[in-house]
Amino acid sequence: MNNIKDIENIFLKIGKIDRRWIFIIIAVVVIIPLLVPIGLPIRATDTSKSVYDALENLPKGSNVLLSVEYSPSTKPENHPMTISVLRHLFRNDHKVYVTCLWPDGQFMAQDALSQVAEGEFNKVYGQDYVLLGYRPGGEAVVKGIVSNIRKLFSVDAKQTKVDEIPMMDGIKNFKDFDFLFSASAGYPGTIEWVQYASDPTGIPMSSGVTSIQVNEVMPYVQSGQMVGVLAGMPGAAEYESLIGQKGSATSGMDAQSVAHLVIVLFIVLGNISYFIDRKRSRKY
Amino acid sequence: MEFSSILGAWVASFLTIGIFSYLYKDNPFYKIAEHLFVGVSAGYLLSLGFWTQLQPNLFGRLFPAKHYDPDTLTYSIYNILSFFSTSIFPEGGIDKGHDQHLIYVIPLILGIMMLMSLIPSFSWMARWGIAYVVGMAAGLKAYGYLNSNVIGQIKGTAVNIFDFSLPIFSLSSPSVFNNLLIFIGTICGLLYFYFSKEHKGMLGKASKIGIYFLMISFGASFGFAVMGRISLLIGRFTDLILFSGSDYHYATYWVLVLIVGILGYAAFKEQKNEGFPEPNILSSSNEEE
Repeated sequence: MNNIKDIENIFLKIGKIDRRWIFIIIAVVVIIPLLVPIGLPIRATDTSKSVYDALENLPKGSNVLLSVEYSPSTKPENHPMTISVLRHLFRNDHKVYVTCLWPDGQFMAQDALSQVAEGEFNKVYGQDYVLLGYRPGGEAVVKGIVSNIRKLFSVDAKQTKVDEIPMMDGIKNFKDFDFLFSASAGYPGTIEWVQYASDPTGIPMSSGVTSIQVNEVMPYVQSGQMVGVLAGMPGAAEYESLIGQKGSATSGMDAQSVAHLVIVLFIVLGNISYFIDRKRSRKY
Repeated sequence: MEFSSILGAWVASFLTIGIFSYLYKDNPFYKIAEHLFVGVSAGYLLSLGFWTQLQPNLFGRLFPAKHYDPDTLTYSIYNILSFFSTSIFPEGGIDKGHDQHLIYVIPLILGIMMLMSLIPSFSWMARWGIAYVVGMAAGLKAYGYLNSNVIGQIKGTAVNIFDFSLPIFSLSSPSVFNNLLIFIGTICGLLYFYFSKEHKGMLGKASKIGIYFLMISFGASFGFAVMGRISLLIGRFTDLILFSGSDYHYATYWVLVLIVGILGYAAFKEQKNEGFPEPNILSSSNEEE
C-alpha cells in the first residue's frame, strides 16, 4: 500500500514540476536529433501525393501561379515547400509567375527563386519565371488578379513594366493560368484564393500550409475545392521525398518525431498526476 | 565569408536567444528583441506598401508620364510635389505603364481622411474612409463565404451513403464507412448548435455525438498547433547550430554566454537583496505565473 502511495507521490511531484524544466527537456530532445540524425522513414500521405500528381500531370510549359504568403516566422514550414514545388515546376519546364499577398513574402520568394531558378536550373528571368511582387489589399488583390492582373501589376518586383516581360504576353487574368499553388501561413492566403479565385473560375489549385492551418484548409481538400495540401513540415518533407531531393524539412523530421513522443509522454504524466490529485482531494 | 553575413548571424543569434530568454522570465534582452521586431516590421510594411502600391498604382495613375503636360492643372500640382521629392514624383511624370485615371483622386482623398484620425478635431473624417473599407470588405466576404464555405461545403458533405460500389472501409479515400462518418458527423455537429429545443431524448443523444466529433476536431487542431510550434523551434535551432560554427566566429556560443551570464548575475543580485529565497526550480510552477 505504501509503495503505491510512494509511486503516486512521484507522479504528483512530476505534475508540479517547474515549466522551465519542460522547456529545457524539449530543447534537448530537439537539438540532439538535429546534431545526430536518426533517419526515420518518411511516407507520403494521400494529400501530399495529390499535390505531386496534379503538378506532375500538367502539360509541359503550363503557366503556374505561385503565391507566396508567409514570412520568416514560418520559414521552417513553408520555405521547404516553396523550394520543392519550384524544383518540380522547373524540372518539368513550366512557366512560373510569383505573386505575394504578404509583404515579407516578396523576399522569401526572392530567396527561393535565386536558390532554385538561378542556382540550380539556370532559368531566365522574364522568360521562365517572373516575380510580380507584393501588393497590399488581401482578398482585393486576389479579386484584382482574377479580373485583370495587368491593372494591379503594371510593373514587377524589379519595377520593370510587365508589357516588356516576354512571358507576360497573353496573361490578362487568372483564367490564363493552368494551376495555382499557394504557400500560405494565414490571412490573406489559401482560403482567400479558394473563395475568390479557384472556386469562381474553376482553375485548379493546391496549397502548402503551416500545421496550424491544416484543420481550416482540410475541408476544402475533402470537398474537392482544392487538389491536396502539404501540411506543415511533414508535408514539406513528404514532397521532398516525392521529388527525390531531400532538404531542410527532411532533416527536421527526426527532431519533430522525437519531440512529439516526449510531448505525448508529458501529456500522459500530466493526466496521471491530475487524476491522482483529484482522487486524493475527493478522499479528504 | 562576407562581413555582412557574419554580422547578420550575430544579430540573428542575439535576437533569437533574446526572445528565448523570456522562457526564463521577462527581461531587457527579450524587450529589445520584441521592440526591434515590431518597429522593423512596421517600417518595412509601410515602406513596401508605399513603393509597391501607392507610388506606382495611385500616383502612377494620377500623374502618368504618358500624358505629361506641364500646362495642365494636374501636372502643375505634380511639379510642385516634384519640388519636394523627385524620387516619389520624378521629373516628367511617373512611368509605370498606366494611363491617366483622375477618378483615383477619390481613394486618395479617402486615404487622407483616414489619416485625419490623428487630429482630434478632424477625426470624424476618418469614418468615411473606414466605412468604405468595411463596406467593401463585407461585400467581398459575403460573396466568398456564401460561394465557397456554404455552397461548396454543403456540396462536399452531400455524400451518397448507399454507394456500395465504393469499398466498405478505407482510411483516407472515399468509402462507405467514411461517407457514413461524414453524414453522422455533419448532422450531429449541426444539431449541437441547435438551441431552440432542450437537448433531451434523441436530440440530446445526437448533440452528444456532435460534441465527440467537435472534440476530435479540437484535438486534431491542438496536435497540429504543437507540430507547428515544434517546427518553428527546429528552424531556430537549425540556424543557431549553423551560427555556432567557426565561419560565424562562434556567434551562438558567445551570445549565449553573454545573455546567460548577465541574467545569472542579475538573478544572483536579486536573490542577495531578497535574502536568498528558495533556489530550487523544482518548486511549484505557479509562483512564476
